[in-house]
Amino acid sequence: MQLTGPVALRGRTAPSRVLFGPHETNLGRGRALSERHVAYYAVRAAGGAGIVVTETASVHDSDWPYERAPLAAECGPGWRAVKDACGDALVLASLGHSGGQGSSAYSQQPLWAPSAVADAVSRELPQVMEPLEIALLTAAFAEAARLAVESGCDGVEVEAGDRSVLRQFLSGITNQRGDAYGAVKGLLLREVLAAVRAAIGPDALLALRLSCDELAPWAGVTPEHALDLVPALEVDLLVVVRAGPYAGSAYRPDAHQPEGFNRDLCAQVRAVAPFPVVLQGSVVTGAFAERALADGVCDLVEMTRAQIAEPALVAHLRAGSAPRPCVLCNQACRVRDARNPIVSCIGEPRSGHETTDPAVRAATGGQGHDVLVVGGGPAGLECARVLALRGHRVELREATAELGGAVQDATLGAGRWRLRQLTEWLAADCARLGVRLQVNAPVTAADLAAYRGAVVLATGSRPRPVAWQVPVLDSRQALRGPVPEGPVLVHDPVGGPVGVSVAEKLAADGREVRIVTGDPIVGTLLSLTGDLADCNTRLQRAGVTRELKALLRRASDGTALLEDVWTGAQREVPCAVVVDCGHRLPLEDLYTTGTPRAGDCVAPRTVLEAVLEGRRRALELSSAPAMVHA
Amino acid sequence: MSRYTHLFTPLRLGPLVVKNRVVFSAHLTNYAADGMPTEQHAAYYAARAAGGAGLIITEEHSTHVTDWPYEKLIHGFDPRVIPGYRRITDAVHAHGVPILAQLNHNGGQASSMFSRLPVWAPSPLPDPLFREVPKALELHEIRSVVDGYARVAEHCVAGGFDGVELQCSHSSIVRGFLSPATNTRTDRYGGSLENRARLLLEIVAAVRAVLGPHQALGVRLCGDELIEGGTTIDEAVAVAQLCDATGQVDYINTSIGVATATLYMIEASMQVPPGYAMFIPSAIREAVSIPVVGVGRFKDPLQADRALQAGQADLIGVVRGQIADPDFVRKARAGAAAEIRTCLSCNQECVGRMGLNRWLGCIENPRTGREAVALPLPTRRSQRVLVVGGGPAGLQAAVTAAERGHNVTLFEKADRLGGQVPVAASVPSRAEFLDITRNLVAAAQRVGVDVKTSHEVTAELLRAEAPDAVVLATGAVPNRPWWAGDLARVVDVRDVLEGRAAPQGQVVVVDELGFHQATSVAELLADRGCTVEVMTPGMVVGQDLGITLDLETWNVKAATRAITQTTDVVPMGATADGDRVVLQLQHHPTGTDLSRTADWVVCAVQQRADDALWQQLQGTPFPVHRIGDCLAPRRAHAAVVEGHRVAVSL
Repeated sequence: MQLTGPVALRGRTAPSRVLFGPHETNLGRGRALSERHVAYYAVRAAGGAGIVVTETASVHDSDWPYERAPLAAECGPGWRAVKDACGDALVLASLGHSGGQGSSAYSQQPLWAPSAVADAVSRELPQVMEPLEIALLTAAFAEAARLAVESGCDGVEVEAGDRSVLRQFLSGITNQRGDAYGAVKGLLLREVLAAVRAAIGPDALLALRLSCDELAPWAGVTPEHALDLVPALEVDLLVVVRAGPYAGSAYRPDAHQPEGFNRDLCAQVRAVAPFPVVLQGSVVTGAFAERALADGVCDLVEMTRAQIAEPALVAHLRAGSAPRPCVLCNQACRVRDARNPIVSCIGEPRSGHETTDPAVRAATGGQGHDVLVVGGGPAGLECARVLALRGHRVELREATAELGGAVQDATLGAGRWRLRQLTEWLAADCARLGVRLQVNAPVTAADLAAYRGAVVLATGSRPRPVAWQVPVLDSRQALRGPVPEGPVLVHDPVGGPVGVSVAEKLAADGREVRIVTGDPIVGTLLSLTGDLADCNTRLQRAGVTRELKALLRRASDGTALLEDVWTGAQREVPCAVVVDCGHRLPLEDLYTTGTPRAGDCVAPRTVLEAVLEGRRRALELSSAPAMVHA
Repeated sequence: MSRYTHLFTPLRLGPLVVKNRVVFSAHLTNYAADGMPTEQHAAYYAARAAGGAGLIITEEHSTHVTDWPYEKLIHGFDPRVIPGYRRITDAVHAHGVPILAQLNHNGGQASSMFSRLPVWAPSPLPDPLFREVPKALELHEIRSVVDGYARVAEHCVAGGFDGVELQCSHSSIVRGFLSPATNTRTDRYGGSLENRARLLLEIVAAVRAVLGPHQALGVRLCGDELIEGGTTIDEAVAVAQLCDATGQVDYINTSIGVATATLYMIEASMQVPPGYAMFIPSAIREAVSIPVVGVGRFKDPLQADRALQAGQADLIGVVRGQIADPDFVRKARAGAAAEIRTCLSCNQECVGRMGLNRWLGCIENPRTGREAVALPLPTRRSQRVLVVGGGPAGLQAAVTAAERGHNVTLFEKADRLGGQVPVAASVPSRAEFLDITRNLVAAAQRVGVDVKTSHEVTAELLRAEAPDAVVLATGAVPNRPWWAGDLARVVDVRDVLEGRAAPQGQVVVVDELGFHQATSVAELLADRGCTVEVMTPGMVVGQDLGITLDLETWNVKAATRAITQTTDVVPMGATADGDRVVLQLQHHPTGTDLSRTADWVVCAVQQRADDALWQQLQGTPFPVHRIGDCLAPRRAHAAVVEGHRVAVSL
């Protein structure tokens, strides 16, 4: 495999062609890299990453884009610790300045930008950079790069992609200057790259992350601009990305975008680039990455989320074993959020928690016990998998005909098919580890009473009772179908991915669909995954009527009564059937106080909690002194 | 002092005596780090103690490891908090002011994002904000919750607090149990009021057992949750009576609303009348023998005194009033109430920052949230400083510079001070915003700033003066959008509010700012009889009003005025149709073209920095600083912060 083999870059050797790209983690301490960062990067390096690019550090204190954003001046010790912990992997320090896409909330300072153009998201007007600020910025890039390399980094990656003042200078949308930097939009980038090279000397690597398409062809950076710009760049490595002021989620989208969506763009750029090029953008499988290399699309592949999901991705690919898949859900790894969530993964909850959560390792020796896991959703499967890994004899009984639990239905929703890969992987790993997987195998209280080993309950959820005078389906029934004839009202008090995917699927099936939410927009919770604006756009394009700021008061005789949440004004809309995407209730039939349980049967939540709790129950049982059921 | 008949009367709260009736009641600050109280906490509370607060109640301390709804919550359950507690209590006690710690478990009003544990609540009903289904507490878990309160009370005693307050009001597991809306249990903790109050009474008993007789114990109750099926005043009174009957509770504090459902009534903005929640303490006070605290937009000591006089409460919570001015009480006592930096109830930097996980600040007081960071001494005293522009940036720069011993002259070309503030505050529902410049103008007079209004200055004049420093705060001017052409009936919000345009008939307000500009002018024009539609390229009209808790009241006002709201549209051009304007628009999610014909179009769009003097003063021998809108047009807080910062740097 080309992907897993070494690659030489400016006299240094990356042990594989897989890059772990820079991303927000919220692992920082103040504005420095923390011991949590070090552990986070170290396991990816140990798992075979060729290049680890650390979280983007602001080069100048005029930039403080999010609370835990690293500041280069405070990153020296952290960079050194990361490099020391990353073995053979090359470590590059990502350096950036968010410019007008930053935040004044933490710095209490004006934003810096090429022109007085407010950011589309924050609507905050920046300060126009004058020659003084431009000189300070260039010097700051150079100084930060010098510090990174002095701290042991193999080089730096200059950020001109998703949120970057350098990209803002390149773009006609944000650069409306009348001076030389407006006439030659690439001038600042060239000056910065030259200053950085001068600061790091001839031996260190200089990489560039460049937006080659802002998806705003009326004035933004287009692929044609990029093809003009790239040949003259003096860098060692170019990461081709798409990102721009109106592109929102385009840089690291969820599964609504196909794997490797930048493939064509990257191939075009590589054709004119006199240096190696990295393919970025939702590449999550070894097969896709390998094919891109074989087809000459790129020289290396960024697989960031794939390595958040599976730190040992490259090791698995080398061994021919199946890595835990990234399903591009963005539910736990996309953490640019005011609450400062820690980067993690729904399928690998230890990600981001390497310093506190134990590694799940196979047991060597010791005496196994008999364990019955009741329920074959993600909680039960992860629990069984880890128990088997720890050397226990595990039987998993699933009441229905297939494994996967609630995920099997969720995966039928529009844009969510990839979720299935996670439960399939869990089931396959259970099988590999010798778990006795039984479907169509319901368990009764009497069965449990008679069972001699330990028991873990992962029996999932049930729909909540609702009382509307029209046919009512819960989201899972609606996804499986059939849905009775007539106008459908999707009732979504949650605002997560489920209601949206149900509405989209039904609309795609040709149904007349309304989606009711008490919020001013649909899918409020999807701000975290990046799908918030996109899902509202998709729904409107699909002809789904958004019934916003509305409570569903009554449904009967083919109509539903909606009430404005703030004014109390009522209105009627056609409704032959309600699909309730509201919260569910735990299935507790088999529960007696003290029985270990995990996932939705504790409280119906997401895959993340199911996997986390399934794993915890397994590790707790494994370390318990007596495993025999009382 | 003679103005106040009740405010400065001491009062006994169980074992404590407070010197006056003003409480700095509990509120989040986001000053904690790693679950621990910080130096900033101590400095923050100490400033209000030095300013004369009668009683301080800290922000909540989590009583249990399952409770971690937001990042910067103090982990009271962790004994490592005690040294931080001691630092706070020592700093406050140095000023002779008692301080209580608020204990809380947020129950179902939380997510597992930080705890990575199931959320605990009486019943498996998801909170309307967090939307995570909680785990219904089992009996042994209820015991663990009660034990948690007792353990944290021990920590508080060890840390030097004078007692504790139990938050049972707006975001609490106790509220969850008390409220029929969130408690659907069928065991002895659900059903009757007696059952729903059982957890509260168990906690009271457990905490009192820890505190003993020499520490105060308060209970904060919600008088009306303002949610369907929730607690209302009669039950709140009954619960207060249950607390009183224990003989273990020293006072009742009150609040209104549920933090995760009706927050806009808890931390009401200037859209809600002052004293709006006083029906709650009034009713409770009638029914109990212990003192009762009333809260709700008290920003003036006289207002508080009158509420006491009217018997509505025994103590008054003044939170935002003391965030804006830590010396609120001291100034009132000294007969200098006019010097109080009155809170605006704008919610921009206090409430607005809390919801975004940022440290608590204040639009008017640049020192709020920075009390622990000492200001540097002036590099040289008695510098001659010329400030150009009398908006909030220039005024704040002038005031701070004069306070720090410089000789300051402020030039304002208009005949009145305040810049855009009086314009913004000319809309009736925004009138209290004017206090920001009223306070600054009064301060400028007190500290001896030489204010010259109707005085336009030129670069030549400034050069001729050869001052030690010039501060430019020349503001911003409206920017005509590219699509507006020269149509006379396409005007700026400022044209309307400053009286240069008087739209009538059908009006479209184009909002690219997402804050008060568009909604204020829409409200004003609707009140003048116009038919108004507000449109925005964003997904919500007035998006940032959500942060300041004005979105709910805006929507109600819009509905009562038949103002329509259109989202996701971008202006693409405008043409004349006789006197009328035809606005071409695109609905950007679908790419659909649409148009509107209106009598007037009012634009709430980004302004342009007025930086002419800055350009003309390049290369002068004295330092020239640029602050506020003439650097980049933004909101008032940026102006104040930059005015203060530049003055401190002189």
